[in-house]
Amino acid sequence: MFNLIRRDVILQKRLLMLFIPCLLFLIIMDANPAFIFLFASIYIPFNTYAYDEKTETNILLNSLPYTRNEIIASRYLGALVYMVLAVAITSLILLLFNRSFTIIDIALSIGLFLLFVAIALPLFYIFKPGYISPILMFSFIFLAIIGPRIVSFAADHLTVVTNFLINLSNPILYTGSALAALTVYGASWGFTTFVYKYKAL
Amino acid sequence: MDNVVELNNVTKQFKDFSVTDLNLQVKRGFVHGFIGANGAGKSTTIKMMMNLLKPDAGDVKVFGLDYKSHEKEIKERIGFVYDGNVFFEGMNLKDIKRIVAPAYKHWDDDVFKKYIDQFELPLNKSIKRFSKGMQMKASLAIALSHHAELIIMDEPTAGLDPIFRRELLELLQEIMIDGNRTIFFSTHITTDLDRIADYIAFINKGQLIFNKTIHEVSESYAIVKGRKELLDRDTEKAFVNIHQSSVGFEALTDDLAGAENTFGDSAVIERATLEDIMYYMKGGMQHV
Repeated sequence: MFNLIRRDVILQKRLLMLFIPCLLFLIIMDANPAFIFLFASIYIPFNTYAYDEKTETNILLNSLPYTRNEIIASRYLGALVYMVLAVAITSLILLLFNRSFTIIDIALSIGLFLLFVAIALPLFYIFKPGYISPILMFSFIFLAIIGPRIVSFAADHLTVVTNFLINLSNPILYTGSALAALTVYGASWGFTTFVYKYKAL
Repeated sequence: MDNVVELNNVTKQFKDFSVTDLNLQVKRGFVHGFIGANGAGKSTTIKMMMNLLKPDAGDVKVFGLDYKSHEKEIKERIGFVYDGNVFFEGMNLKDIKRIVAPAYKHWDDDVFKKYIDQFELPLNKSIKRFSKGMQMKASLAIALSHHAELIIMDEPTAGLDPIFRRELLELLQEIMIDGNRTIFFSTHITTDLDRIADYIAFINKGQLIFNKTIHEVSESYAIVKGRKELLDRDTEKAFVNIHQSSVGFEALTDDLAGAENTFGDSAVIERATLEDIMYYMKGGMQHV
């Protein structure tokens, strides 16, 4: 299992060399710290999924002594591992560049990341290869641009909801969202495991 | 004699094709050739042996174990070679080894190095720039480096030049010296088999026609050629398929002794090659 997670680094040696430059670019462009965290977390898992949707990769992994459950588990656990590493590295670089960021930025990006993986990952195993990566890439960029506007629109117009959220104490709000994100993530994991179990390769 | 692979009444249905009620045993310590035309069901059968496809009905046992509870143990003991390149395209052999090796408990780096040297494979060149033959050698080196007992190969000789095909067959013979090994490989180049196969399994339109020793095959199948007058309702029963022309007929029988009895010297009876058998069977079974 650990080997399956470690595999991602070997697969992406070259892309990893672009990782730091990309982060630096975003910092210089003065991007929102939460967005930088989110981008950094998604970087490795997303590139792996692009590999994994290929039929050949699935044939290879399934011919090796791994079970299908392990292959899916390595995707979901791997995403968490790389997210933690990415957040650590990004924090370090932000500190080095003297850019301020808050725990909220990190929490927000982690929440969005979990949601993104929970929605995106099953798609790779449901749909035919070749379509999903470009669609996801596009929708990610689209959401990153539109997302904040939707939130501020909602904040202005859906006062009932925002009032409810504002009135919650911080600990409740944070634990609540963390639990919600983890529940969605776990449900997605279970669902993908089920789909993959019966997939013909 | 024990079976390494057993398919019992296996059925797999697709939209426009199906493998039906397949019963196939692969015996330990022998080379098994698996023949059939394109689209006859060879790859489907191999995929079911590897648990890449699950049969709709029937069961698959490898080393006497089923995939449901022993998937990892089974795959530890199998080496696989597929027709296309299944390894990550842009990567070199060194990195592929880094990914594949830790998956196996019994990976043997010395054996791997031995084959890399023997095949003269570059470790740092991207595998997509390998020739077809080199890709095959690379897959083979990986398949042979974890002391697998069963080597499953899907069309390993397809697209290879004759010289390399022969080298490959020699190598397979070499690895069979270790008497515990079993090789099961599909091919549509039947001349490969005369050289090394002990058993031949023949699949046609999703159905297993026979699984016999190469000796039994040559003892039972024959081509009969003769004048048209020899054919009547009785004599036609001896044939699997008959090709007729204006002057005579050529037909395949699966009962050499019977045909010799019936026709004696009045017809020409020749040993059927595997290609003959495939060719006549393609026309469908025609037991009149």
